[in-house]
Amino acid sequence: MLATLVAQPSGGVVAGAALAPGLAVGGLDYVPQLLNYFVNGLVFSAIIVLGGIGLSLVYSIADFANFAHGDTMTVGAYAGLVTLGAVGTAGPQLLALPLGFYAALLAGIAAAAVVAVATHYFIYRPLDTDSIGLLITSIGVAFVYRAVVQLQFGTDFTEYDVAVLRPVPWIEAATGITITEHELAIVLVAAVLVAALHVVLQYTTLGRTMRATADNEDLAKVSGIRTERVITSMWVIGAGLAGAGGVFLGLYNQLGPRMGFDLLLVIFAAVILGGIGSVYGAMLGGVVIGMVNRLTPVLSDVGLPIEPAYANAIAFVIMVFVLLVRPTGIAGEGVS
Amino acid sequence: MSEPAAARSEEPEEAGDAVLRTENLRKTFGGLTATDDVTMEVERGTITGMIGPNGAGKSTFFNLVSGFYEPDGGSVVVNGEETTGMDPHEVTEHGLVRTFQTPRKLEGMTVREAMLVGPQRQLGESVIPLFTQPDAVAAEERQNLQRAEELLERFEITHLADQPATDISGGQLKLVELARAMLAEPDLLLLDEPVAGVNPTLANKLKAIIRELHEDGITFLIIEHDMGFIMDLADPIVVLNQGAVLMEGSPDEVKNDDRVVEAYLGGGGGD
Amino acid sequence: MADDSHEPEDDIEPEGADDGSSAEAGGNGPGGSRSAFEGGVDTSQRRVERLTNYGIAAAAVALLAGVLVGLVSPTYLLFLVSLAGMYALLSLGLNVQWGYAGLINFSVAAFFGLGAYVPALLSASGSPLPWDVSPIAGLFVAVAATVVLALAIGIPTLSLREDYLAIASLGLAEVLRLVVRNQQSWTNGTNGIGGIPLFFEGVPVLGTFASDVGTVDLGIYTLGYQFWNGLLNFAIVAGFVVVSYVVLRRVHRSPWGRVLRTIRSDEDLAEALGKNTYAFRMQAFVLGSVVAMLAGVYYSYSNYFITPGIFDPIFTFYAWIAVILGGSGSNRGALFGGVVIVAIVEGSRGLGVGASWRLFAVGALIIAVMRFRPQGVLPPRKELIWPGAHRGGETDE
Repeated sequence: MLATLVAQPSGGVVAGAALAPGLAVGGLDYVPQLLNYFVNGLVFSAIIVLGGIGLSLVYSIADFANFAHGDTMTVGAYAGLVTLGAVGTAGPQLLALPLGFYAALLAGIAAAAVVAVATHYFIYRPLDTDSIGLLITSIGVAFVYRAVVQLQFGTDFTEYDVAVLRPVPWIEAATGITITEHELAIVLVAAVLVAALHVVLQYTTLGRTMRATADNEDLAKVSGIRTERVITSMWVIGAGLAGAGGVFLGLYNQLGPRMGFDLLLVIFAAVILGGIGSVYGAMLGGVVIGMVNRLTPVLSDVGLPIEPAYANAIAFVIMVFVLLVRPTGIAGEGVS
Repeated sequence: MSEPAAARSEEPEEAGDAVLRTENLRKTFGGLTATDDVTMEVERGTITGMIGPNGAGKSTFFNLVSGFYEPDGGSVVVNGEETTGMDPHEVTEHGLVRTFQTPRKLEGMTVREAMLVGPQRQLGESVIPLFTQPDAVAAEERQNLQRAEELLERFEITHLADQPATDISGGQLKLVELARAMLAEPDLLLLDEPVAGVNPTLANKLKAIIRELHEDGITFLIIEHDMGFIMDLADPIVVLNQGAVLMEGSPDEVKNDDRVVEAYLGGGGGD
Repeated sequence: MADDSHEPEDDIEPEGADDGSSAEAGGNGPGGSRSAFEGGVDTSQRRVERLTNYGIAAAAVALLAGVLVGLVSPTYLLFLVSLAGMYALLSLGLNVQWGYAGLINFSVAAFFGLGAYVPALLSASGSPLPWDVSPIAGLFVAVAATVVLALAIGIPTLSLREDYLAIASLGLAEVLRLVVRNQQSWTNGTNGIGGIPLFFEGVPVLGTFASDVGTVDLGIYTLGYQFWNGLLNFAIVAGFVVVSYVVLRRVHRSPWGRVLRTIRSDEDLAEALGKNTYAFRMQAFVLGSVVAMLAGVYYSYSNYFITPGIFDPIFTFYAWIAVILGGSGSNRGALFGGVVIVAIVEGSRGLGVGASWRLFAVGALIIAVMRFRPQGVLPPRKELIWPGAHRGGETDE
């Protein structure tokens, strides 16, 4: 269920604090609390951004709303789980994560990319249909991904075999912000991936052709850009980032066959807020939606009768509102 | 008649009998002005042609007067009533019906069914009467069916009635569209490039049909790139250029006007 | 209406570019149902229909044989048939929206849930709300609530582009699900609502029918309370299905249905011909939602207990696969699709394979239909003209 994310925050930090009654709102002692919401929002945003980029790329280049994108994240998360089990957690650590986890991350990226490209070649491409037909087909694809994960791993929640951490002491002492090294790792690695994507989009031929294809596929075809190669690259990049997002979602929360599907609509909200088809818009929308999602407890802290359980509902309402008043999103239109 | 269009708009409202009148109609798309200050009239009982180089604003003008675009400025008056900013179906209710340049084919319908979408204010288009007055719906449907078949006969396309609407040729579709538009009983019919991509035989047939309908009292406003067709059929002809009315006059006046020649040869966007 | 798809800018179309064939560019309507009509003439369609009929007949014979040899209890058979009716209501409702009007409604589950929750909240002993309304009155309140919810979802979303409508309607359905889960004081939240009475409670004869009849011994089976109660539940859902089917069949081949089919193919054309497309779409949305809601009413009264799980989007997708498989726009196709969904859901249970295989089957089925038979198994046939108006007499579907 979509509420899982909010109902069972892994850190326990935010929920615990939010439940503390009688917070002196407006008082200085609320500031660290607010900061914590923000930092937590940043971590969650990182995951949404990683998911959102791919969804947006598919929307602009393959021209359909891909309902299997959330389950692509799930595929990445579980590929990471298998890899971590095989590689083990021994050896040196980086940000309190064993090197094996980074191998798992790479495996998650690779697996999601391979599965997405295979799906493109064997399922989407042979179809003789329009964007709505592709949308409907992608629901079937989503179910198949999830069913395969369930058949292999069961329906129970599971976790990566890494130690559960306390917040970094010196950060907490200095600022009152509780953030674990794992959460730091999520934000940092996501930032590296997004920066790498930026470089690819802006400074390589592939990136430029992708942007051109996103803007106008017909034009790109006429001008001799080989769109099939662009489309394959798009699936690799979009699904790869989703795979990374899935692994981080598993680290941040836990793993379950529905983890990706339950996050899908939140990611859609981010992509729509940023402007469908705009990669940078998706990043911006991801940050905003992630923040809004984790700042929802503020509402009950200030006495409004909206519980944190409505975090996703708020995102969906924002999404519908944006579709109504500004379907091009806050960032305008186009990738470039 | 070759006076500038701007002068015409200064005529008092009741002068002449205009089915369609626009004043200072303006539309911009993200900074690009598609239609700038179009003031013109379509007099009742005419076949008015509309020509102009590509990008002159003809299709934008059609979309503005038929309600598909909301104008940024100016007004549209159909049959003496202001329709500016109305939805397309409301404009249609005022007696203006348009066709499309590239009509889509109606899936899963025969040509006969596709025709039956034309008649306005059908009782059977509301859900309740389907159950409370089924006989009245049937009677109405029978009548519409009869009118549809009369029109198909008149257009000499009766043989198409049972064809799936997706199976007929582009030219045949134009005929069906025209016949269907007639079922809506318009005062003014806007045709958007009726003979584009239509073979010469069929184009001649269309011309004859339009003349015939005109004699029955329908007023036409026709966008057409085929000069031979439009010069033969329409009078007067309005020339649009760069989003404004360049001139209006009889086919001969238009043909011999230097400004028109210049517009087509010059900055019109390479017609 | 401003974003029309005919001429996005101005006169860009080069001259002569639009001969007959270019009119087909983009004209295949949503969802890849381009060949939906070709079935009227080709023989492969007849073969598919014949095979479908044989398949249904074989399944029916197998079930009846199962009853006769003692493998399938009559009570279970009744339950199966009723369940098929329930899914058929979901798909019949969605078919009005997607099949007739081309609306990508992903909020079917919201109306299924509403149909279950409204009567339960009004009449169950476990309801947190104080009222004690008779179940039959609850049905009418549920209809009213459905109209309100359909307008609440429809007014903001029905003017959206088709794929945005899909996302937005799913989002709003999720909002409703979250409200039902979390507003403990109104809905009991995830604890659900128990003590839902039977539909005919308080009605003379029918109210006590199941216990009055007593047990009938048939040798291999003893028909007791469970059976008679199942029979009543079957009667309820059968009543809903028959009424819905008759109503939908009539509206489908009416001028109203014709306008919807025009909107599905080309909304701008419908507007240009004077049809208020927003109003027609809204009517289709409300009508379809009421039909889908009836499935929830049946579910509520045939179960003692309901939870917010009934709002799970999976029910929306069950309805979708039923409609697509049956043939978008086809009422009998929607019925058929409902039967197939039950075959998958209950069949997987009967074979002892779990929910995962069921999910796999549903997903694979969606992909297979879109790949190999996008028009569905039983697409709408022939032309739809009001009965009695056509010289040729009766038409089908």
